[in-house]
Amino acid sequence: MEHSEPTEQADGGSALNGHFDRTGKRPVPGGSGCASAAASAGAPQPPRAEPGAPRPVMESWREERTRSVEDNQTSLPSLAAAYTTILRGLGEDPQRQGLLKTPWRAATAMQFFTKGYQEKIIDVLNDAIFDEDHDEMVIVKDIDMFSMCEHHLVPIFGRVHIGYLPNKRVLGLSKLARIVEIYSRRLQVQERLTKQIAVAITEALKPTGVGVVIEATHMCMVMRGVQKMNSKTVTSTMLGVFREDPKTRDEFLALIRS
Amino acid sequence: MECRHAPEVNGGVDRNLTVCKHYSLCKEKKETKDNVEAKEVSKVETAYSSILSELGEDVDREGLLRTPLRAAKAMQFLTKGYKETTQDVLNDAIFDENHEEIVIVKDIELFSLCEHHLVPFFGKAHIAYLPNKKVVGLSKLARIVEIYSRRLQVQERLTKQIASAISEALEPAGVAVVIEAAHMCMVMRGVQKINASTVTSVMLGKFHDDPTTRKEFLNLTMRK
Repeated sequence: MEHSEPTEQADGGSALNGHFDRTGKRPVPGGSGCASAAASAGAPQPPRAEPGAPRPVMESWREERTRSVEDNQTSLPSLAAAYTTILRGLGEDPQRQGLLKTPWRAATAMQFFTKGYQEKIIDVLNDAIFDEDHDEMVIVKDIDMFSMCEHHLVPIFGRVHIGYLPNKRVLGLSKLARIVEIYSRRLQVQERLTKQIAVAITEALKPTGVGVVIEATHMCMVMRGVQKMNSKTVTSTMLGVFREDPKTRDEFLALIRS
Repeated sequence: MECRHAPEVNGGVDRNLTVCKHYSLCKEKKETKDNVEAKEVSKVETAYSSILSELGEDVDREGLLRTPLRAAKAMQFLTKGYKETTQDVLNDAIFDENHEEIVIVKDIELFSLCEHHLVPFFGKAHIAYLPNKKVVGLSKLARIVEIYSRRLQVQERLTKQIASAISEALEPAGVAVVIEAAHMCMVMRGVQKINASTVTSVMLGKFHDDPTTRKEFLNLTMRK
């Protein structure tokens, strides 16, 4: 579980998304989960060493608590029952051949789309940080990303471009893509996703700077609502020297565009 | 109450009815369309709430507070095709015209929901028909696509339903429908092949019998 950063309050107090679990046991449905320390009103707080004090962001990612495979198996029947209700509510016949096993398939699919809650950054990163005397920009671009809009539960997909300036430590390249996977396979808002990726890389490597750009298509805008087929949403987070030095930022943006 | 005496192939209940058409046989109470819809949205909303908490999320956090309602309404929109019939859409726009050459409307955007995983699939539909003294308003072809695609679908059935609808309405000399779509259930999960696309086609009448006609259609449509 990720605790909020103090800066989240400046963003309007939006709670971090995450798997909320007190003791490793399956959360009781109906809001027993803990709220972020940015205090979404009314949500119960988890038992903590310093109740009420927001955790510093630098430590937060090390303490993620995750949904487990057992949790998934336990939740599956209720998820399937919920999907059966949805099918009926939409006017379909859940007993027809094509829909017979749909509740189970849809439930498993949804668990897959939120599997980011099952994974910890620390497991993914621990081995692959290397000391290297390299201080030029490293970019991994066009990382395909699939996420779920937390407002409509409809897919978001696009590409992520990540750049960082190492400060004596480099990261295995695929780990950048794995960080994207962990945070994108959740109920997300694109702005938050971009920031979470940037912050995770910053905390892991302590580089001189990090830049993350995401361009994505939101099915909630394309398939419904305003129905604009070709629209794309672009968000970016620039930290460290990428934020402070316009030339570094320009170099990064030029290289991801090419 | 829903009258279930006449289920459709995919669909189920005709919710356009305010009176059960078997009124003399079933004693179900009449309800207005709005009441029925509101109840259904509410049930779906509760189901989504339960899904969010079973996935381990905090249903009280700001971003998720109204998500069950939004997701329920989104799902209703994405399956609005169940409430629409070809009759409603087509009735006025069939015209007598002495035209017997191929008419194609291509690159019609299509968004549907996979009935196996409840995940979107989307792509393009290309429709062609050979009029037999009757032509149809062009946008009606796109509206027919909308009616059948805004349902829980299987791409094969969707293609066939579109072709059959046009065939029944116009009685043309031939109908051809080709759909190419990307299935998120294959792209986002499962086998995870990002560039894979599925193509299905239905050829009726002259498009089926005459290879030259079919070839002409495919040349005009599938050329990049």
